[in-house]
Amino acid sequence: MRIERSEGILLGIILIYAVAVALVNPAFLSIETVFDLVRTSSRDLILVMGLLLIMLSGGIDISFMAMALVSSYCATAAMMQLGLSSIGFLLIFAMLIGVVMGLFNALLISWLKLPPFIITLGTMNLFHGLMATLVGTRTFGGGMLPPSFNAFGSGNLIELESEYGIIGLSLSVIPVVLVIVLTWFIIYKTMLGRGIVAIGNSEEAALRLGFRPLLLRLFAYGYIGALAGLAGSIYICQVNAVYPDKMIGEELMVVAGAVIGGTSISGGKGRIFGALLGIIIIYLLKSTLIFLGLSASWNNLFVGIILVLSLSFTAWQEKRRNERHLLFKIESR
Amino acid sequence: MSKINATPTPINYITGDANLNALLSVFVLTALICALAFGDAMYSGANLQSMAFQIPEFGFVALGMMLAFLVGGIDLSITANACLSGIVAGFILTGSWLPGLDEGMRIAVAVVTALGLSTLMGLFNGLIIACFAVSSLIATLGTMTLYSGIGMALTGGRSVVGFPDSFTAGGIACLGEVPVIFIAFVIVMVLMAILLERTGGGRRLYLFGGNPVAALFSGINNFRMNVATFTAIGFLAGLSGLTIIMRVNSAKVGYGDAYVFQSLIVCVIAGIHPAGGRGKVIGIGITTLLMQMAASAFTILQLSPYTTKLIWGLMLVLVLGLTRDGRRLLNALRAPFIKNKTLTDKDSNPGEADNG
Repeated sequence: MRIERSEGILLGIILIYAVAVALVNPAFLSIETVFDLVRTSSRDLILVMGLLLIMLSGGIDISFMAMALVSSYCATAAMMQLGLSSIGFLLIFAMLIGVVMGLFNALLISWLKLPPFIITLGTMNLFHGLMATLVGTRTFGGGMLPPSFNAFGSGNLIELESEYGIIGLSLSVIPVVLVIVLTWFIIYKTMLGRGIVAIGNSEEAALRLGFRPLLLRLFAYGYIGALAGLAGSIYICQVNAVYPDKMIGEELMVVAGAVIGGTSISGGKGRIFGALLGIIIIYLLKSTLIFLGLSASWNNLFVGIILVLSLSFTAWQEKRRNERHLLFKIESR
Repeated sequence: MSKINATPTPINYITGDANLNALLSVFVLTALICALAFGDAMYSGANLQSMAFQIPEFGFVALGMMLAFLVGGIDLSITANACLSGIVAGFILTGSWLPGLDEGMRIAVAVVTALGLSTLMGLFNGLIIACFAVSSLIATLGTMTLYSGIGMALTGGRSVVGFPDSFTAGGIACLGEVPVIFIAFVIVMVLMAILLERTGGGRRLYLFGGNPVAALFSGINNFRMNVATFTAIGFLAGLSGLTIIMRVNSAKVGYGDAYVFQSLIVCVIAGIHPAGGRGKVIGIGITTLLMQMAASAFTILQLSPYTTKLIWGLMLVLVLGLTRDGRRLLNALRAPFIKNKTLTDKDSNPGEADNG
């Protein structure tokens, strides 16, 4: 596998950080840390795959957390109403609702032809407000949810004996791996994915090649909608409760993860491995500052520093390349 | 088109602009509806005054976001900047930093430090954006995380409380019946309008925002434009931060977080085009009043925060849709009643080309 320079730097940061933490606190170096990281980050690992596809198409979506919340909340409410209890229904309902919202985003963006950031900001509020007004704002606690939710959320794929008891690799690693493989397949092995990368690089050129931007956008935004449904369902299973106001407000962290991983905001550039690394580095900082004896309130400071450094570095490289080719790229947007 | 060369009088300043026309009609309509529906509950002296108290802290953020929009960017870090400068001012005011100053000095030092620091943070944003050609959305996403991270590390998430009374008195002081902070906001707005619309520098800013590449080749210093804009945004953020801590009597990470998204909505409604180079300060003034009136109405109606969210989201989508296709819809409605087909929708689609 080819590793880009920016990804190499990220791997280096992770390695140095891990060594530093392990020197201070040897308890960090255990398989448990890895398992825990996979479990807590699984929601965002899935979401970032959808975001990657959107950003490759030259757009951005910040309504995905709202979609994750709304789809999983509505799906749960519907299941309670209908008396269904299988985890399969939850996933199917949530993904269907997510796809509908994603398609709505895509249509709006194609119609209004304005920055997707602003449009999805509007729909983020719209979706959440609609859910609260039409479906309700009740919290479903652990006792009310079907037991299959918790069984999936706390179930383990692999279990290991350790001195602290049984530690396990969460079942949610299965959907994560499936989504990564599927996204890889779409981006690199289908005309659909190639088309999405093409409109991200130059919509005009892609149009003249015969790609249809509207259809490609519909697919990309629908895809993140479906992934949002999946990720939201996994999250509520892990937490074993459904709140009407969780998740919203964390979307920019996922965007930050994708950007740290080298995904370009102007479209056409970005890799699966980098985006995954970006999310992992954020969660690594989030969950291991305690090992260094720092409270969680230092988390944003570290993420901020890494974010500012990495995005400056990536953008600076591109600026130098543009200058060599006498390209006058528009700054500040 | 002859309007362009007309001498700007206060009347055609507003009527010469289709967007401001629409905005003003919506404003008058909303004001009338509020008068009919709520009467005294909305237009009592007490309510008007409390609205005037609430406007400035948000208004400064909206003015800052307008500047970012004018150069075709976005600044997500405004409220994180406001919070951090508020926190630093708070530490000085309570005497945890620089102890030994008397009260008057403490206030002076705190105000100067807060404004200086916020301007520096704005400068930092501008330098990242201009030096490395980072898109402003991403750059300020990074600095937003960084600034709130510093604030978190300083306070540990707790609020800074216990300011001197003579400082918080500024937040409730009135000149006659009008709050002093509101007067300050109006002065800043007028100054900004003059700077942007009546000086060469302002004209260059609009040109740069409209087409940076053309601006570059016509001798406008793009680097300086970017840095100056984001530095000015930083200063406005500092004003907002000071207003907030003056009114709330405490400083904390996360105050006014919702203002970032709200100010984006305000800018769009105010007709500040996100692609840059178009929009007027007076639009922000009218829209801020409109938003405050709507917020007041929501409070009187006792709507849940979720419903409020729904209405804002709906409003954003509707306004965007109407600015794009409003005239075409209107023409389609009028078409059956007009015999000769002189109607065109040639110039009803501003900003056709930009997407993302």
